[in-house]
Amino acid sequence: MRFRFGVEGDLTTPSGDRLAVGDPRVVEFLSGLARRLLAPAVARRHPELGSLGYFLRPAELKRSVDRMTQRQDALVFPRGNVFHLPPANVDTIFVYSWAISALAGNHNVVRISSRSAGAAEVILEALRETPADPVIARTQRMVTYGYDDTVTAALSKWCDLRVIWGGDTAVDTIRKLPLRPSARDLTFPDRTSWAVLSVPGWRAADPAARRAAVVGFANDAYWFDQAACSSPRTVFLVGGRGTEAAELRAEFLQLLLDVVDRRGWTVDPAMAVEKRVNAYELAATGAATALDFPDNRVTAVTLAGAERAPRRWIGAGAFPFAEVDSLLGLAPAMNRQDQTVSHFGFTPAELGAFAVELGGRGVDRIVPFGSALTFGAIWDGYDLPGEFTRLTTLKVT
Amino acid sequence: MSVFTLSQASKEEQLVKELSALTEHHRARCEPYDRILSASGFTSASSIADLPWLPVRLFKTLELKCIPDDEVFKVLTSSGTTGDVSRIHLDKAAAAEQQRRLAATVQTVLGSKRLPMLLVDTKAMLKDRRSFSARGAGVLGMSTFGRDHVWALDHDGEVDLGAIRGFLDKHGDQPFLIFGFTFLVWLHLYEVALAHGLDLSNGILIHSGGWKKLIDQAVSPEEFRDRLRRVGLTRVHNYYGMVEQIGTIFLEGPNGGSLYCPDFADVVVRDPETWAELPPGEPGLLEVVSTLPTSYPGHVLLTEDLGVVHGIDDGDWPGKRFSVLGRLPRAEARGCSDTYRGAA
Repeated sequence: MRFRFGVEGDLTTPSGDRLAVGDPRVVEFLSGLARRLLAPAVARRHPELGSLGYFLRPAELKRSVDRMTQRQDALVFPRGNVFHLPPANVDTIFVYSWAISALAGNHNVVRISSRSAGAAEVILEALRETPADPVIARTQRMVTYGYDDTVTAALSKWCDLRVIWGGDTAVDTIRKLPLRPSARDLTFPDRTSWAVLSVPGWRAADPAARRAAVVGFANDAYWFDQAACSSPRTVFLVGGRGTEAAELRAEFLQLLLDVVDRRGWTVDPAMAVEKRVNAYELAATGAATALDFPDNRVTAVTLAGAERAPRRWIGAGAFPFAEVDSLLGLAPAMNRQDQTVSHFGFTPAELGAFAVELGGRGVDRIVPFGSALTFGAIWDGYDLPGEFTRLTTLKVT
Repeated sequence: MSVFTLSQASKEEQLVKELSALTEHHRARCEPYDRILSASGFTSASSIADLPWLPVRLFKTLELKCIPDDEVFKVLTSSGTTGDVSRIHLDKAAAAEQQRRLAATVQTVLGSKRLPMLLVDTKAMLKDRRSFSARGAGVLGMSTFGRDHVWALDHDGEVDLGAIRGFLDKHGDQPFLIFGFTFLVWLHLYEVALAHGLDLSNGILIHSGGWKKLIDQAVSPEEFRDRLRRVGLTRVHNYYGMVEQIGTIFLEGPNGGSLYCPDFADVVVRDPETWAELPPGEPGLLEVVSTLPTSYPGHVLLTEDLGVVHGIDDGDWPGKRFSVLGRLPRAEARGCSDTYRGAA
């Protein structure tokens, strides 16, 4: 086992250290970490760390603490021991999950994948360099170990809350290892996310607004190779069909290629082949009626209908398109697996009606283009500060 | 008799016609294939490079065949390290034709008589169901071109020096065939022949299976030939082929250094950014075309191998001569999935 952060030693030994919800020592440490992540040199190389740093700013931390402690009907305490199993490939998720839990005063063990690289290494380095009260290193630990069920089993018995990120298979595999009777799981399984684009809204937007929308969409799609849970995949063109929609799509793709060009993003040949394979599969099964490969970085797929939108990942820079008459008409095609819908060009009333129509049966986040990857304390339908704390009721008479 | 006869110009003329007809044949009989071509906007091709290629991996994820279920005579599978395997459907005619063409191809270097055959492999491998498909099929397919077969490795995969010596005593003074995977030949035949002074000078070696393991040991294809020459083995032919185009092999010429395309097949090297055909000398992704796949739409395939055309109509045999340079690394995405697998 490799200790990446925190004091080395047995992870499951009972600890005498006590942290409070919103403990000042944790707040100070997280603020210090934020400063490091927001340093221009870091943010330039890993833009996704910029949003992480923003999330950890003192003002944001205070807001989170306030939300945890605001209730009048109960006393709020840390949940206890929390064991996090974040995804291998989205470098920043482990920090969000851990940071909220640490802020809630929990003792945390985070399993960092051995496949972690790039941004994750930068974060771990920043963690180690940030000045901290010694209690931080004793209560907050990050480790890397192989697929070792005995370690995972011991930590599962140790924790009061086990946080499992990753695919359905990962969740199923880890769930086979029992928790203490009083403990429970918080799971973040496979998700799919979409983009919705209002045809009338696009037409009403001026060129600058259109470009800004595409810049936001491009970040959402390309930052994690379109494979993060929140990365938009299929684009639904809403409220305009035929030539109108076709013109919009052509303009959208042109702007997208332009943005990708300016950013210097590339898609390697293996990924381009992967996209071909997936696009051909969609065509072979009749889900797609037309395929366009203008460039390795952009693959455009015309779907036979909204209900044929693929829920699995089909490659970095692969965009199925489908036309629908209205957002309300799209609602029946959404299900529990669907997480984020990022939008452009709709009125607040349209979006509100869409959310109400969905009724919680699918889609946990509805956010504007450019915000799909912005992590929030409410995630996958869970109020994380609530999940990471426990409540004591006190009645005097 | 040779199947390496056509100049590139006559091959181009002939293959465009035949492969275009095959494309239409497959479109009419394989709906998924027709849908792919329609969705990509394909109408017709005026050159081999214009023909619509399928990524070879598609045969791992889709069932693509152009024959009704009751005419399926054989389903071939490739070995896959990740669990996905290609499934190639042959009818009786296609199965017979691929065997006939393979025979014609190897007879170019072996002659039409069946030769005594030394297999640089273990018979035990045929019984191992897990590793059988590719290696076993390769050995079995090739073994029909020989007679009086002797296995050079025993059941534990160890060199069976007695068996090799017995084979050479009996057949060593006449032409004989040696077949095996490149790495096994290097490890178990070359080194043993060197150590024990075996005389392989009447042997004709046909070998395949990729250079990766040898390159890891810093043995280049040139060095492989040079060193084999030291044990008397001068007639050495590497080949390249895949189950998805069964019956078609690209064979190394007598002077080595290049693979050649039989008259019914060709290669196109593509720029992996623009997908346009690259001129000789420029490496890219290798596409293989062949008129043999009549029962499934595998006549124009984009492989996941990198290759380079060295020259056209300027080598041992007419047409393109090329090399395979290695595999395109597999695409891996960043993403939320795949946190944890159980310890096997």
